[in-house]
Amino acid sequence: MSRRSLLLRLTLALLPLLALYVFAAYVVEWPEWAEPIARYVFTVGLPATLRVSAIAVVGATLLGIVLGTLLTIKWRPSRLVIRLYVEIFRGLPILVTVFIVYFGLPAISTSLKFDPLAATAIALVLWGSAQVAEATRGAVQSIPREQHEAAAALGFGWVGAHGFVILPQALRRLLPPLVGLLVNIIQNSTLAAAIGGVELLQAAKSQSERLTFFPPAGIGEIHAFEIFAGLMVIFFLISFPLTRLAAFLEKRLV
Amino acid sequence: MLLATYDLWAFVSENWRELLDGLINTLKVSMVAIAGSFVIGLVLGAARAHRVPVVSQFTAVYVEIVRNTPILVQIFLIFFALPQAGIRLNAFTVAWLSVMLWGGAFNSENFRAGFEAVPHRYREAGYALGFSPRATFFNVTLPIGGRISLPSSINTYISVLKNTSLVYVIGYEELTTTAINIAALSLETLEALTVLGLVYLTLVWSLSAGIRKLETKLALPERH
Repeated sequence: MSRRSLLLRLTLALLPLLALYVFAAYVVEWPEWAEPIARYVFTVGLPATLRVSAIAVVGATLLGIVLGTLLTIKWRPSRLVIRLYVEIFRGLPILVTVFIVYFGLPAISTSLKFDPLAATAIALVLWGSAQVAEATRGAVQSIPREQHEAAAALGFGWVGAHGFVILPQALRRLLPPLVGLLVNIIQNSTLAAAIGGVELLQAAKSQSERLTFFPPAGIGEIHAFEIFAGLMVIFFLISFPLTRLAAFLEKRLV
Repeated sequence: MLLATYDLWAFVSENWRELLDGLINTLKVSMVAIAGSFVIGLVLGAARAHRVPVVSQFTAVYVEIVRNTPILVQIFLIFFALPQAGIRLNAFTVAWLSVMLWGGAFNSENFRAGFEAVPHRYREAGYALGFSPRATFFNVTLPIGGRISLPSSINTYISVLKNTSLVYVIGYEELTTTAINIAALSLETLEALTVLGLVYLTLVWSLSAGIRKLETKLALPERH
């Protein structure tokens, strides 16, 4: 695909977004209750979701790549420990991991007390790093043996060979699953709502509950459908381009 | 410091009845949801692989919506928004319905990929033998494509089982809700979380060990 047609495709992809914006801003007549809720969701909920997701995806990627690379070493004890870590956090429902971090760790030591959003981010790092470790192991093992030999011939040790020769090549194959991980982490950051962390979902939920109260707090009406459907649109607008990107990278890079 | 009083055995012997009820509810929700997502996946996956008009476009939209929105928002939408339209569902129905719709979307992709992986010449051979399109599907595409999609669809069922924990947010008394409620009352947080984790890991690990067995048993002779 030439550079120009790629640019064309990007522009074409942006057109529906523009149309949606014009539609939402100028065509739809928003009810009076919608504006403060939208403002709250976008100024309080969205930054929290993005912050948790950013921390989680960076932490999960770094930890996962290190663990996955170490998993390719053929020394039994280290392999056993990392494999156990990977299988535990891939096997547990993420919500249970969130509860373990949020309720379990403070019960062990009071210094391990985290606020809901931080606990969610930690749980997502634990879960995500297990996913990344498994993917990294596959990617590192898919690099042909000659590359290891060439690195050894150039005088690299294990760390140098992996840092400068093997991992840069493996990272290319890792890119599509990492974009997929980002999508999953953004979606799973909503788990914070289960422990009261105010991100997109909790923000929307609390506002939808507030509306059902009588004035002055609310308006005494139920608008749960509009609010949660709107939230779905927000998540879709974030996730859909990313899943397309992951599919595109998968086709191009592998 | 709850570590000093940690006593898993006392916790289990005191609360095993509630925990067992929770586990049974988890399995109940999972079973209904897995059966439903199998049917949804099979029908919609076949429709997509064979490009049945309308149904396959509908499936594409359904799959993209489910895949690109958090399942927790889907659960909230079904639980809090449907009553607004006059549809009142109890927590159990919302539990299996939401998890089933989620699993069905992923499963229809699994089955589509499996059916599309069946070489075209097999289907042509079926037609040449005088099979009708439907008979060709049931005798050729389904047995072969179904086997190809089996591992990925079982992975989806495992995710469905894990996702049943999310109905905690609507208060349905499955395993996670039960364990957390007991922990909140008895303050035996660590014991409750240990039981919770061990039960889920046992379920998930034995299921994945089962897949690997099934995979070797059902592997197509031609594919390695």
